[in-house]
Amino acid sequence: MAEELLVVEGLKTWFPLKAGVLQRTVGHVRAVDGVSLRVRKGETHGLVGESGSGKTTLGKSVLRLVEPTAGTVFFDNIDVTKADKTQLRKLRSRMQIIFQDPYASLDPRQTVRSLLTEPMRTHKLVSSKAEATKRATELLSLVGLNEEHAYRFPHEFSGGQRQRIAVARALAVEPDFIILDEPTSFLDVSVQAQVLDLLKDLQKRLGLTYVFISHNLSVVQYMSDRVGVMYLGKIVEDAQRDMLYKSPEHPYSFYLMAAIPIPDPEFKKIPRLLSGDVPSPVNIPSGCRFHPRCPYATEKCRAGEVPLYQGSSSDHHVACHYNIDFEAEKATLRPDVIL
Amino acid sequence: MEVKKNETVLETRDLTVNFQTYRGEVKALDRVELGLFRHEVLALVGESGCGKSVTALTILGLLPQNAHVLDGEVLFRGEDLLKKSAEQMRSIRAEEIAAVFQDPVTFLNPVLTIGVQLKEAFQVQRELVWNEGSNDQVESGAGDRNIKDFLLRKHEPQPTSRPVSGRRMERIAEELSKDILRLVRLPDPERILTQYPHELSGGMRQRCMIAMALARRPSIIIADEITTALDVTVQAQILNLLKELRDAIDASTLLITHDLSIAAETADRIIVMYAGNVVEVASTKDLFRKPLHPYTQLLMKCIPDVRKPVIRLESIHGSVPDLIEPPPGCRFHPRCPFVMETCRVNKPILKEVRDGHLVHCHLY
Repeated sequence: MAEELLVVEGLKTWFPLKAGVLQRTVGHVRAVDGVSLRVRKGETHGLVGESGSGKTTLGKSVLRLVEPTAGTVFFDNIDVTKADKTQLRKLRSRMQIIFQDPYASLDPRQTVRSLLTEPMRTHKLVSSKAEATKRATELLSLVGLNEEHAYRFPHEFSGGQRQRIAVARALAVEPDFIILDEPTSFLDVSVQAQVLDLLKDLQKRLGLTYVFISHNLSVVQYMSDRVGVMYLGKIVEDAQRDMLYKSPEHPYSFYLMAAIPIPDPEFKKIPRLLSGDVPSPVNIPSGCRFHPRCPYATEKCRAGEVPLYQGSSSDHHVACHYNIDFEAEKATLRPDVIL
Repeated sequence: MEVKKNETVLETRDLTVNFQTYRGEVKALDRVELGLFRHEVLALVGESGCGKSVTALTILGLLPQNAHVLDGEVLFRGEDLLKKSAEQMRSIRAEEIAAVFQDPVTFLNPVLTIGVQLKEAFQVQRELVWNEGSNDQVESGAGDRNIKDFLLRKHEPQPTSRPVSGRRMERIAEELSKDILRLVRLPDPERILTQYPHELSGGMRQRCMIAMALARRPSIIIADEITTALDVTVQAQILNLLKELRDAIDASTLLITHDLSIAAETADRIIVMYAGNVVEVASTKDLFRKPLHPYTQLLMKCIPDVRKPVIRLESIHGSVPDLIEPPPGCRFHPRCPFVMETCRVNKPILKEVRDGHLVHCHLY
């Protein structure tokens, strides 16, 4: 088994809510609320969840683009949460992030060449301008663009091409770890696979490790080796990909999988609908966060926080007190009151 | 319910729309033809910029100032909607063709309660007075059956001799509002009527928008990306509601979506659009069993299916063309693997290849 490159332990990122004239803190948005995550070298760890589940904040907290409130993040045995400025800068050349909106993440006033060489200069990876330009050209061909693109501005490119530029920029500092935060959600389906396949190829060629964040379950399935399901700031289930998609053990994962639209009109889908919406992370329900929407909830679920239990295999973790046989329930379960 | 098969309620012919921009004329729609049958869900599917929303806006008469309709007609009840005045279109949008859009927050008034906004929708309907004659049904909140009768126009409006008092009208509207909120499966309608939009979740707001659209008893509902802003589990709820409503009321739905999977699960028929052209029209089953247009075929290989994980996902090389200078001939030809000489020069026509299966391609 490959060694673990990223070890996150009990990570919490809370944002204070301020109110009144004195701007006193009246509460917290518990965006990430006790997450533990282990990512092995060379693998892709997917994170799925609905909006507001804290996936993006988790990604940013790992890189300390937002300061975590509590917990530790070890990257290659270096504690990221305790790193000082110079250490952090060094670390950031090894850890990169690609954001979802390639229209917002590229400076419109810089040419592609300058976008790509800036991180090299910042991290002093090149000694001369000529070398930087040469590296930029190499990067462009790595992501399927060519030399002539180097002198254009971001607005001259399509969405898919811009995302390729964002990938090239992340690679400019030769990282070994990249957080991909919804990298294809702004792209059309006909070009989405181009970017996904590019990311897969680069991973193989350069030995990269990814954390792949998305709300799109099919895309996460396509990209990941392991997948964690997030709900209201917590990982409720974490397992090897096929285990999770074939036999989810947490009720939320089960309903999430059941809600994926299937591109086949002749597939007889049993309608299994979850009631309600995701609650606000300001007022997190007591006990198991999922209990107000869970059809299996009992008194025990309302009472206290649920630990991560071991699931059916040793590397399957699930935050649910019960071992529910969803298949058996299939026939009897009815979507009674929706919402 | 008795429904005559394939009775067309709305039709567009040769719809051609250009947008004036500082870079030049964007040829957004190019001879778009579609027919919406009575009592069906018709999905309009395509990638961003293919013209699906522009088609909807043209039908609704809501095109922005810089758009010009160069050619074509929108036929509804034998009349061309493009020839109607702004005032007439307003009343058509109020009474006949309702629209629900992607983001409910922008369409709900933030300073009025849901109750005020929903009741208003009922009150402006003069027909409400029919309830005067059969008031018992309404006031006892006969619930589901009652609201369905209302939506099905089972009771035709009767002109009354007595004027209806404002307070009475208010009461009827209130009862109908509660019933319609129950119809869209919102629990505790009494409370929701007193709440403001910001107090509701995204899914609840979208249900309110659907309720408001239904309140006018439209014969056509245009649903433009109504689940795009919602989470997967909530999306499943709303799509299920849409299917329930199709069976419950007598309205046709034009469902606009970029997601073929959603169309597969919800629609009776699908129209695929590409770069301002309708490229394929078929029943949902036929389209997925045997897609004819190369674009449709390729698009289907691009969408991941969780039931059948693949090692390599396909993509269509190149990207969607700039519609300021669309490719000559078939607009898909630069990306098409089966491109022929004629495709580069001649525009294909929309041909009926099999019963009800139309394709816009020289191959057939």
